[in-house]
This record gives sequence, structure tokens and C-alpha cells, in this order.
Amino acid sequence: MFTKDIISWMVQSTKSTKFYILVAAIAFSLAIPLVVGAPFLIHVLTLIALFTIYASSWNLLASSGQGSLGHAAFLGIGGFVSSLLAINLGIPPIIGIFIGGVFSAAIGFLIGLTCVRLKAWFLGMVTFGFAVIAETLVSQFDEVTHGILGFRTPLLVPSGLSFYYFAVLIATLSVFAIYFIMKSKIGLAFRAIHQNESESRMIGINTVKYKLYAFVISTFFAGLSGGLYAHFLRYISVSIFAAGNSFKPLMMSVIGGLGTIEGPIIGSIIIVAIDSLLPNIDKFLQPALSPLFPAVSFVGPPLRFLGLGVFLVIVVIFFPKGVSSLLHKIHNYFRAETKKANNIERK
Amino acid sequence: MIDLSTLILTLMWGAAIGCIYVLLATGLNLIFGVMKLVNFAHGELLMIGAYMGYSVCILLGVNAYIAVFFSMGIVALIGIAVERLCFRRVLGSDKLNEIFVSLGLILIFDNVAVLLWGGKSKRIISPFENMSLTLGEVSISYDWLIAVVFVIVILIALLFLIKKTKIGMAMRATSQKSQTSMLMGINIERIYIFTFALGAALAGAAGVLYGIIFPFNPYIGALPTIKAFAIIILGGLGSIPGAIIGGLLYGIAEQTAVISLGGIWRNAVAFSVLIIVLVLRPKGLFGEKGE
Repeated sequence: MFTKDIISWMVQSTKSTKFYILVAAIAFSLAIPLVVGAPFLIHVLTLIALFTIYASSWNLLASSGQGSLGHAAFLGIGGFVSSLLAINLGIPPIIGIFIGGVFSAAIGFLIGLTCVRLKAWFLGMVTFGFAVIAETLVSQFDEVTHGILGFRTPLLVPSGLSFYYFAVLIATLSVFAIYFIMKSKIGLAFRAIHQNESESRMIGINTVKYKLYAFVISTFFAGLSGGLYAHFLRYISVSIFAAGNSFKPLMMSVIGGLGTIEGPIIGSIIIVAIDSLLPNIDKFLQPALSPLFPAVSFVGPPLRFLGLGVFLVIVVIFFPKGVSSLLHKIHNYFRAETKKANNIERK
Repeated sequence: MIDLSTLILTLMWGAAIGCIYVLLATGLNLIFGVMKLVNFAHGELLMIGAYMGYSVCILLGVNAYIAVFFSMGIVALIGIAVERLCFRRVLGSDKLNEIFVSLGLILIFDNVAVLLWGGKSKRIISPFENMSLTLGEVSISYDWLIAVVFVIVILIALLFLIKKTKIGMAMRATSQKSQTSMLMGINIERIYIFTFALGAALAGAAGVLYGIIFPFNPYIGALPTIKAFAIIILGGLGSIPGAIIGGLLYGIAEQTAVISLGGIWRNAVAFSVLIIVLVLRPKGLFGEKGE
């Protein structure tokens, strides 16, 4: 029954353009290190792959109408569980990251239980609060977690190109899994709940159950990406719970396109590129702008965050469906044009 | 274990911190009640208010407590701009959009503050620096007492505005049923602007009082927002007396936790209170109507 479902999904989804775009994106991501070999760029590309998983997991939760503001909690739990297991029990990180994901999903289930009755901002507050509580607990039990100073995490796969391919593999699998979930009846229920919870309850959707599903699946992938992130950076501390890490997947999903499968990918490319590549132009900005802002020693970072904030507000106000909706518009425009051309030829 | 003077001090500190939170929470509650909008960037208005107070003190050389009024005016103007340019456009669309716009605003405000004032901690120097009232073993700084008095005066003025004036009546009508009040000839867009400006002004006042008591930097905004939230939820949505009682209770609970459990628990306690209240009584302790 279940396998039949999966097969029917696969057959159905191969008919859509999106599927081919995804395949092309994977091929592109596999080929790109052959073109640009600089270690720094590989580092950036790996970060994009990691944040794709993380942002997709957030996006899945948001597609059920639950906007988490504390996803860093699950990122951190995944990272800490996987790294601590590897250090204390010698469990190989390649298994550890999945254990971290499962552990994070278990915590996510408990948080989800408290959150299912809450809406929009209450949920945001509680999840944000949970990230702060997680940070406090990890600092409190420092003898176990070594979180305050942080510690060096063991190697997952050799860093550099092989880590990149490993990250792309996990990211692809995760994105596909999330894609199939979003395409399935579960995903339909998520969207129904997002649009109108009481009506979807009326037509027989068990909203509590589906909201919990969303929480568990999303936190599993968040924990998985957390494990990968910790082993990628080779270092983990309580700073992983910072609010910035909670807001990143949100910004990525919203800028890319909320509730779409390609949105988090586009968003993570944009945000990680801004984060990692723009510091290079700081050298040129600094002499030009520092006389204007005498109070700050480095003009670059605050300007960048300011730009991101403005960008986020503009996207939400003017393109509520994100950058990917622009791409859709362009795609539709060209399709309409070719149709027109074909019709003229036929006449 | 805890002697009497520590207890009194804890209560006093809690009440004073609570008072600042009450101002913030009342503003947030007002905006929520009338516009059904949650401004997550409200704490950023507090932070901007603190910096405005700081700059006014330095540039004009006025008394820190007079700067409160300057700051209220400036932050109200900023609030109007924010409402017109950002929130107006997403009002009534998906609730998540309001959260996203608020987060964008948090980034904007924080980094504008960094660019203008730098990232280092600042403090507003009050005229009563280092002076305190001594009662037996307990000594209470004048600044704390003045903060409490200020908050009480502002809240009384606010209650008068809401209960006795025409625009207050229009605000209450809009908060009950915005469409019907539109039919009754109330310009609800103007009410929205006024409400947001009022809420922002309260945050501005809270900011200066905060800046007199604590050192501040551009990143202090986030936690007070969430504490204000916890207070609103504790006191019941849309209820101003609830927010006042909730704020005082909350401030005292926080101080007690800091003294008995240690400083790192300060923020975790806020959220534990929030989560417990939300799970047990989603409508708040004193709330009548809820989401």
C-alpha cells in the first residue's frame, strides 16, 4: 500500500516541470566543483547544501501554518547529540547525525504537543522561547555538554570536496523526501490547515495529528542538518542556539518562496552567498563609508544586515510568494510566448 | 534562607523592572487589541527610544527625565512611518507575513542603531545618579522610584485617554468590531495610525527609563519584546489591567528566579512562564476573550 503510494507519487511527479528542474539542479550542483575548485567556494557551496536542508525543514513546518522562530533549538540539539555521541561513545558521526535527527524529532514531538493548540505569534513565541531554554539548559549542564566553551567535533568525512558531495547527497535525499511529503496527502492536509484550520477540521482532517507530523518531520531534518553543520564546522558551542540561526531558515524560505519546494533552495543560495561572498567587498566599502558612520569600526556587517532586513520587508510586501514566484512568472511568460508563436505558425 | 531585606529588595527590583515591561506590554497590547497585529519589533522601538533619550540628553543637555517626552514624540513618529510603510501593506493578509515583516524591521532597526551609535553599551546618566533612599537595611535608588512614578503617571494618562476621550472611544469601538465602527463613521485607518503611534510612544518612554536603569546596546530589543509578550499572555489579551498585574508579577518572578537560581536562568524563566501559561490557560490568567 505504502510503496504503491510512493510509486504513484514518483510517476505523477515526473510529469511536472519542477521535477526536471530539480534534477537539473542536482546535476548542476554535482558538476560545479569541477568548474570552480577554490576551497573557499567549495566551503560556500557546502554551506548552501546544509542550509538547504535546514531551510527546507523550516519551510515544511511553515507550510502547515506553523512559523517556528526557534528552529535553532533543533539545529543545536542535532549537532550536540551527534558530536557528543561521537566523542563519548565513539559512535561514528555518519550514524550519529541520524541519531541526532531522531533525538531532535523526539524533542520536536514534545514541543509540538505544546504547540498544536497555538496559533501564529503564540507559536512563534513558544518556539523562540524553547530555543532560549535549550541554550540555558546546555549552558547549565556544562559538565555533560561542554557547551559554554564549545569543543572540536570529530571528522564526518574528509573535509573539502568529499564533504561537499556527501552534503549534496544528504541534501538531495532530504529535499526529495520533503518534496514527496509535500506532494502527498499529508502535504495537502498541511496546506489546508495553513489556509483555514477550523474548516479543515470540519472536512475531517485531524489537525492535531497533521500538525504533529509537520513538527516531527521538520525537526528531524533540522536535527540532521544540525549534525552535518557541527561536523562541517568541526566545532560546536551554545552559540549554535543563537536567534540568528533561528531566523536564517525563515529568511531563506520567505525570500525564496514560502511553501514551495524550490523556495528554500533559492533562498539559501541567496542568503549564504550574501553572508559569505559580500564580506569581500567590505575592504572597498570601508574607506568610502566609514567617515559617514564614525560610531562603528566596521561598516560592512551592519550594512549587510540592514540590506537583508530591507530585502525581507520588500519581498514580503511586494512578492509575498518570494523570488521563486518571479521565476514562475518568467517561465509562464515564455511559455505563453512560445504558444503564441506556435499558434501563428499553425495559422 | 532569604532574609527580609533581600526579599524586599527583590520585590522592589521586580516591581521596577516590571513597570518598564508594563509600558512595553501595554503598547503592544493596545496595538494588538485595536489592529489585531502583533509587532515583534516592539522591543526595537524601546531600543530606539533609549538611544533617542541618550542623544537628546547629550545634544540638548536636558535632564534625562525630560528626554522621556522627546523620545516619546520621536518614537511615535517612527511608529507612524513603520505602520504606514510596512504593516499597513500586510495587514489582513496571512498572519505569518506580519511576523516576517517584524523580523525584517528588527534587522533594520538593530543595524541602523549600530551604524548611528555604534555597537558599544551606553547609559543615560540621570540627575540622581548614585543617590538612593535608605529605609533601615534596604536602600532603593531614586531612579527606580522615579521610573515607577513615571509609569504610573503615563498609565493613568493612557487610561484617561482610552476611557474618557472621543478618540479613545473610537479606539475601543475599532477594537471590538472594526467594520461596524467604519460604518459608524470612524476613520479606522486614522485610528490605526494613532494607536500605533501611541504604542510606539509608550515603547519610547519605556526605552528611556530602561536606559537610565540599565546599560543598553543595539541588541537589547528582542528579549523585552518577548517578555512583554509573556506579560500580555499572562494578563490576558487586550486587557490593560491584566497587562499591569501581569507585568508586576512577571518582574517579581524574574527577580526571584535570578536570586534563587542564578543569572543564566533570567531569560529561560520568562519562557517557562510563557509556555506554562499558554499550555494551561491559553487565554491568560485574567483574560476573558482569547484567540
